[in-house]
Amino acid sequence: MSSSRVGRLLFGSCRLFGAGLLAVLAAVLVLGGGLALAQQTVVIGMLGPLSGDYATYGTSVANGVELAINEANASGNYSYRFVLQKEDTRGDQVQALNAMNKLIELDRVTAIVGAVLSGETLTAGPIAQDAGVPMITPSATAPAVSEIGDYEFRNVITDDVQAAQMAEYAINSLGLRRFAILHANNDYGVALRRAFEAGVQANGGQVVAVESYLDGDSNFSAQLTNIARQNPEALYIGGYYTEAAKIAQQAALQGLNVRLMGADGFDSPELISLGGAAVEGALFTSGFYNATEDPLAAEFVRKYEAAYGMKPDMFAANAYDSARIILEAIQAVGPNRAAVRDWIANVQDFPGVTGVTTFADNGDAVKPLYILRVENGQFTQER
Amino acid sequence: MIDWLDGVLRGFINPYYYGILVTIGINIILALSLNLVTGFTGQLHLGHAAFMAIGAYTAGLLSTKAGFGFAGAVIVAGLVAAVAGVIVGLPTLRLRGDYLAIATLGFGEIVRITLLNLDITGGPFGLRGIPRQTNLPIVILAVLFSFLVLRSLVNSRMGRALIAIREDEVAAQTMGIDTTRLKVTSFTVAAFFAGIAGALFAYWFRYLNPSSFGFMVSIELLAMVVFGGLGNLLGSVLGAGVMTYLPEFLRTVAPAIAERRLVFYGALLVIVMILRPNGLLGTSSEQGWLEIWLARRRSQGAAGRVGSGPGAGSEAPPATGGAGHGPA
Amino acid sequence: MPGSGAVWRRFPARTGFAHRAPSRYDWEETTGGACLAQASTLVLYRCAAERGAPLFAQQLINGLVTGSTYALIALGYTMVYGVLQLINFAHGEIYMVGAFTGLLLVTVAKLPFPLALLLAMGGTAVLGVTIEFIAYRPLRRSSRLSVLISAIGMSIFVQNVALWIWGPSTRSFLPPFPVTTFTIAGLRTNTLDLLTLLVAVLMMVGLHLLVTRTKLGKAMRAVAQDRETAALMGINVNRTIAFTFAIGSSLAAAAGVMVGMLFNAVTPSMGVMPGLKGFVAAVLGGIGHIPGAMVGGLVLGMAEVLGVALLSSQWRDAVAFAILILVLLYRPSGLLGRRTQEKV
Repeated sequence: MSSSRVGRLLFGSCRLFGAGLLAVLAAVLVLGGGLALAQQTVVIGMLGPLSGDYATYGTSVANGVELAINEANASGNYSYRFVLQKEDTRGDQVQALNAMNKLIELDRVTAIVGAVLSGETLTAGPIAQDAGVPMITPSATAPAVSEIGDYEFRNVITDDVQAAQMAEYAINSLGLRRFAILHANNDYGVALRRAFEAGVQANGGQVVAVESYLDGDSNFSAQLTNIARQNPEALYIGGYYTEAAKIAQQAALQGLNVRLMGADGFDSPELISLGGAAVEGALFTSGFYNATEDPLAAEFVRKYEAAYGMKPDMFAANAYDSARIILEAIQAVGPNRAAVRDWIANVQDFPGVTGVTTFADNGDAVKPLYILRVENGQFTQER
Repeated sequence: MIDWLDGVLRGFINPYYYGILVTIGINIILALSLNLVTGFTGQLHLGHAAFMAIGAYTAGLLSTKAGFGFAGAVIVAGLVAAVAGVIVGLPTLRLRGDYLAIATLGFGEIVRITLLNLDITGGPFGLRGIPRQTNLPIVILAVLFSFLVLRSLVNSRMGRALIAIREDEVAAQTMGIDTTRLKVTSFTVAAFFAGIAGALFAYWFRYLNPSSFGFMVSIELLAMVVFGGLGNLLGSVLGAGVMTYLPEFLRTVAPAIAERRLVFYGALLVIVMILRPNGLLGTSSEQGWLEIWLARRRSQGAAGRVGSGPGAGSEAPPATGGAGHGPA
Repeated sequence: MPGSGAVWRRFPARTGFAHRAPSRYDWEETTGGACLAQASTLVLYRCAAERGAPLFAQQLINGLVTGSTYALIALGYTMVYGVLQLINFAHGEIYMVGAFTGLLLVTVAKLPFPLALLLAMGGTAVLGVTIEFIAYRPLRRSSRLSVLISAIGMSIFVQNVALWIWGPSTRSFLPPFPVTTFTIAGLRTNTLDLLTLLVAVLMMVGLHLLVTRTKLGKAMRAVAQDRETAALMGINVNRTIAFTFAIGSSLAAAAGVMVGMLFNAVTPSMGVMPGLKGFVAAVLGGIGHIPGAMVGGLVLGMAEVLGVALLSSQWRDAVAFAILILVLLYRPSGLLGRRTQEKV
């Protein structure tokens, strides 16, 4: 019986039922190992959209955190028993604030992985900051997140860095000059657009068309026709994989023959399963490469697939690393919020599945950025 | 005085529940004001979140960019929302029923997209840096103020005219009621209070984002009003209280259900409408299935003495009960 | 009392407001169409001058395809409204369920495409009739506000049950037949675009014939006109309304499958925006008016595309809704609809 299976049962079903299972599991552990009872329980929070339009991202993050915690509990290497408390925000400010208050005031969490979206992070983050609860967001990329305070960390490469590197690579290494941008009209898309425009100009290229779409759109024909008119060499898509796949296909149907580019929003196996041949050759920046030969990451991909039946995306990988940083911190300094914060702030080159992580003074992770390419229905490393 | 009271309240209320109470209070003001338009005047308004957004962003901008104090910003936010209410209400309230619903929905979307595209509102990045100055005593005062103003309004001559519009607009017009003027007035008053609630929201959450004021927020407000009762102010207090607390209650008791709460919201709207078309505490001449069924049982019981007494449960009536085709 | 809106009434209550007495489905006599044509010619002229003719013509094709996706949804909306004066808010959700059913039948059950489409249409017909039976029939004598709220509740319910069952992620729906792209006079289009347009037109014509030429259609019109009298004339009102929902819902499934393939995306939230836009299209054309749904869809599609071409893609949806409000204000019964007045 794999422990991750049990965990999934536990947390996927109703709380009462879960509590019953937990008791059985505890009994098994006591009989088997005799160690379980001696362990102190530490609660780790997870905050993000588990329902609603953004549930895909929240679910990936929850899975990543859950996997890290189940693994830690099963390994026997930790002196604490970790309990995951997931709270749903539905991607909504009101829910995010209430959920954050609950994690801090009722569940007494030691640290939190979250929030997932930038908006909810900016609402809930200050609460954690005021209460002195360390928090690592695995995915909120809005620039303002760094300004929340010293208890807020960000384990994802910011939009600015990603777009700037892609612009630099496209111009200096690929020799492209004329770019079009099609971005989601949300914080993620607009931040990418701004940074990419700046990057292109800084490297001597030219942005010939900028178009946008709303979250959930599926028809991009009018924008693509405008773009095609300007004959760009490359199309930078500032958005997530669902829309990127649709854009790629519609661009192909329109005969728009351009190199597609994007950021970590592309990083999901879904990009390929949705986009098929149309996304072939697309380039994107990401902090995670799921076909990497790095043994740590390969092991993570294998375990994640076994537990959840799909390959992990960037959200899951960042969440897994964030949770592991928190678990290590607690193991090192005990379940003390301030001490955990200090440990995280000072961590040097933490080895994770998304590469080595160090946090800068503003709480943003400094970590390697890959440029990946879609080739024969697989992600391969371009740089 | 308020600070002292706040200190006392914070002394024995867990911050988690304190936060929930503040949100409940803000939602009560929104539900009360929506009830004036939809419950009392009978105009289905699907864009109430837009007035809340206008109030919230006005307060946020006044506070972060123009150096306004809390009280001033809240009042101006209410007034700006009210002006928006007049501007939107004057043309659209001439529309009837379904068309009004869809026009207000369109208005709500336009406001959201505008907030998303303007630079001054921070666009999709939102508006940050609003101080946290809303607290529980202030929210309670605002709720009391809204409730008393709206209660005296609906109990006045004007309130009776509004109800007349709801029951039969053409007849009301025939009786000499200036229906358009009254509808716009009720819309404006509702927008004012929604603006106040939005300002309190801004000063509580400290960060505003256009996605907090989407279509679903308007629908949830409507659900609160409907659940509590169309045309009953206490009903709105009940509706907002229950429907704001319910997801939080489920969060602690049954998170698996809490994640699916929209399924139950949807079912709730349908069930409440079928059993009591005007909500739990609704006031209208109209009878729901529950009443019809109880009345039928009662009359049967009186005739054949087979009834099982009053209050015989609230299960749904037999399906054949509605098969008759009523007068159109 | 549900008295307004139905354009299907054979014997219209002539009121002082009706500027003329247009015959049903008469395109020529409606002045709104002409005005709109003039206005759009002006806009198009500017567009053509500024950005060059090929771009403009290509955008027209985009508008046509976008418009036909809205028209596909608007047809079902408008038919239910024509008979019941009810905005079936759950229509967008039925469309979504239809798309999912079609997708699962093709990919999981491996059924041939035409059979899958028919089964999906049958499945949603059952769903539509069930929704009518549960959420609308008990409220037939209630105020329209109550029915509308019940419809909104049903829409939220169905969407979230779908989210529960199928999860939030988008699924790919590749057309089970080859799609070829070709160029005519410098304009690109493909078989899928043309098929979408064709299906929309076929559905419109079929529905129109059904309503005007068949016995069932006659019964529908009778029920639309006066439910009680229709019943007295021996029409089974409940069965007629159930049929209306069955047909409207199966049209929604066809629309869902077509649009799902066109954009290669099926997701539980796919019915929300297109549902609203489909309704906007129905209102634009004159709700209750079958060719009006087609015209409304095309006008909305064109307006959106031109909004992107001329203004900015950021404001596209705002433009769509602003047009809706303006049309409602100046022609409350839509471009092709006839004005009616509420009776006491």
